[in-house]
Amino acid sequence: MALRIIMFYRYYVPHLLLRQQNIQILGPKLSFHLSRASSYNYYRNLNHTDTQTNFSIKPKFSSFITDSEIQIEFSHHDPGVARINNGSFGCSPASVIAALQQWQLKWLRQPDHFYFNELQKGILKSRKAVKDLINAEDVDEISIVDNATTAVAIVLHQMQWAFSEGKFKKGDAVIILQCAYGAVKNSIKAYFSRAGGYVIEVPFQFPVKSSEEIVSEFQMALVKEKAGGRRVRLAMIDHVTSMPSVVLPVKKLVEVCRKEGVDQVFIDGAHGVGCVDVDVQEIGADFYTSNLHKWFFCPASVAFLYCRKSVTHSELHHPMVSHDYGKGLAIESGWIGTRDYSPSLVVPSAVEFTNRFEGGIEGIRRRNHDAVVEMGNMLAKAWGTNLGTPPDMCASMIMVGIPACLGVSSDDDALKLRTHLRENFGVEVHIYYQMPRHEEVATPAGYARVSHQVYNKVDDYYKFRDAINQLVSDGFTYT
Amino acid sequence: MASSPNHHNGSASKKPKLTFITPDEIAAEFSHHDPAVARINNGSFGSCPDSVLQSQRRWQLQYLSQPDDFYFNHLKSGILRSRSIIQRLINADHVDEVSLVDNATTAAAIVLQQAAWGFSESKFEKGDAVVMLHYAYGAVKKSIEAYVTRAGGHVIEVPLPFPLNSNEEIVSEFKKALEKGKANGRRVRLAVIDHITSMPCVVIPVRELVRICREEGVDQVFVDAAHSIGCTEVDMKEIGADYYTSNLHKWFFCPPSIAFLYCRKSPKSNVELHHPVVSHEYGNGLAIESAWIGTRDYSPQLVVPAVLDFVERFEGGIEGIRKRNHDAVVEMGQMLAKAWGTHLGCPPEMCASMVMIGLPVRLGISSEKDTLKLRTHLREKFGVEVPIYFRPPKNGEVEVVTGYCRISHQVYNKVDDYYKFRDAINQLVSDGFTCALHT
Repeated sequence: MALRIIMFYRYYVPHLLLRQQNIQILGPKLSFHLSRASSYNYYRNLNHTDTQTNFSIKPKFSSFITDSEIQIEFSHHDPGVARINNGSFGCSPASVIAALQQWQLKWLRQPDHFYFNELQKGILKSRKAVKDLINAEDVDEISIVDNATTAVAIVLHQMQWAFSEGKFKKGDAVIILQCAYGAVKNSIKAYFSRAGGYVIEVPFQFPVKSSEEIVSEFQMALVKEKAGGRRVRLAMIDHVTSMPSVVLPVKKLVEVCRKEGVDQVFIDGAHGVGCVDVDVQEIGADFYTSNLHKWFFCPASVAFLYCRKSVTHSELHHPMVSHDYGKGLAIESGWIGTRDYSPSLVVPSAVEFTNRFEGGIEGIRRRNHDAVVEMGNMLAKAWGTNLGTPPDMCASMIMVGIPACLGVSSDDDALKLRTHLRENFGVEVHIYYQMPRHEEVATPAGYARVSHQVYNKVDDYYKFRDAINQLVSDGFTYT
Repeated sequence: MASSPNHHNGSASKKPKLTFITPDEIAAEFSHHDPAVARINNGSFGSCPDSVLQSQRRWQLQYLSQPDDFYFNHLKSGILRSRSIIQRLINADHVDEVSLVDNATTAAAIVLQQAAWGFSESKFEKGDAVVMLHYAYGAVKKSIEAYVTRAGGHVIEVPLPFPLNSNEEIVSEFKKALEKGKANGRRVRLAVIDHITSMPCVVIPVRELVRICREEGVDQVFVDAAHSIGCTEVDMKEIGADYYTSNLHKWFFCPPSIAFLYCRKSPKSNVELHHPVVSHEYGNGLAIESAWIGTRDYSPQLVVPAVLDFVERFEGGIEGIRKRNHDAVVEMGQMLAKAWGTHLGCPPEMCASMVMIGLPVRLGISSEKDTLKLRTHLREKFGVEVPIYFRPPKNGEVEVVTGYCRISHQVYNKVDDYYKFRDAINQLVSDGFTCALHT
């Protein structure tokens, strides 16, 4: 009986408190059209010195967030969709969105005051929060940027100048893995190759059996180029590759880079924070970028670029040059012209959100990993296929083979299947096409990249399982 | 949660206008502005009405609800729709000529980065010139330094007097600067010309300057019209520049932030512009590249239809708004100059929706720092938001006006805003306030 009373308080009281707080500014069930009268009152109540979100849930007893509270936080997600592609665009809970809207309203209310008195303080707070999250030594090492795409452009732009200004010679190289993100490869083309650099692409085998095979391919490529007299100026390495999704052994790869004389190492951790453990001192790279809107519950979009202070490197610049040019990347990035900086300002609110979970972001990460491995195994068993990597090379996403009879035999087919699943089954999942190695005819060529985040339910994965089973039994095929 | 495209704009069809928006409705649309502030600095950060903010929230919610569906099925068509509206507004020939970017700062980086490649790839000779106005926006000057100077280009600044009396003063200085640029067999590769300078705020005769550039063999002309759409006439074919950018969040009621960069399609242009943030669409043309530069909130670029609906509730649409803003700001400027015994910084026909007015000499504005002090003091003690400009005295000048304020007029302003400012300055003068004494 006592236990039931305690359970009541743990689950229902915070839930009731929540309802009264009316966090559903975004809730599709409520009218989203703030009427003029109500918007006037709402905005008038804002205290312009208020830098904290005026929304905080303090449960009566210190208890962690409950399942129903989590559902409410993500009630703006389309309920008809099994949302198992958190990797592409991430997610953001209602309480962080509420904080975002608070910042937006402050700007709209009196932008000059905001610009002179609030913005830079807010960005510094976010940078400090990031520094703590990733165990950086100094907040000066942290710049807030829009997304990993921007961070990559910043670093490569610096390389382009190095070629133009004669610091690098034509033919100096960048080394990447074959599975590097498409946009990153384009950025290398736009800046590095165009300026005269050479690109070393290390072949990457998928399915992956172990991290050793990745490290040895990488090392072989470096040794070969060095033997040919090539200078490797930069290594760009994913922390978690996108498609196919694999956790790379970055610490080991950084060590190999140092051993083989690579000038600088840049880890593209687009999926990093909240998905894998990110300790920049441990990892030891010169540059590290991660999006915070993918796995750290921030709204679109905010990311950071970490630049290790102890390393001498030419000053990096933000490509959008504004008043603070020359004051260091972190300061430059804090003002790149008039825009909505509110996503950069809600990082502390995201931290608060993760701390409502047992174990904070660490706990979330571990539980996501365990759940996605469990679901991945369930699906592979149900379909008679396989996982694309061993469980220890997954984070919060896992690659599961699609039944070969569906005949996915091109990138085009993969996209078509993804669209079909979205439109006919209400399942949102990223599909990958792997060109089969010639000796493995029977290996399925299509893989699904399945994610798990705190809002997911086991039904999401059953829905996907059943959708594929139905397609198979309907004799659906692309060939 | 499905939503049709019509969900995002107001009326899909033009209803005959029986009544225009009323003053009460306008006040309600801007009720989120701090009511205690006389907001006469629309030039810095612009303004956005509630109905456009609602449209923006709808787009944002759609993205949050199902981002993959949004990305594959709604984003591109939404951006194309905004670009098409802008194309018509600015009289551009092809929608391909219209790219949407965050702000004029970004547009400048795009054009200048291309110039830097010109030097690095030896299309241009080291020492070839880029010409800009002395009153070019500070951030643009830095961008020119970051890209052009660094790459080996020679930067020539066109000095301009202030106060100004006529366009002739601008044109003659500009011609002189072009001559300098062509000295010693050099080429002028790029001219960067403001349509409306920021501080001090003056409308520049861009059409004439572009014509002169063509006559003098300047390769490319980039008009930085950060303020223009909604503030001046914006006719790309009339103006004739190669590149033209304007923010839409300053005077065209968009939320922060959105701007367009117009790039004239011409048979001789073999220049490729790229967005500096390179993503999947690299090489597909600037307009397509700019429509996807990684995951971010694109909603400011999607609300242009809702803005059109808003401005069409006003008599004469954006043109009517523009004219009435101009007339009002000139009237208020003259009222203030008379009240303080000073003068306007330039003739009314060289103003758009903003005007520069001399501040009483007694205030002792003697540096840029003083202008910031005074501005802060006005904000904190008087609830007036207005930027101040320091005009250094020339040799031999004594007891001249060294401080000018830049006031603006936008549809939400009331005459009381200007009386409040008038009285604040009068009070400071009668209190014996000087910038030197004030910390």
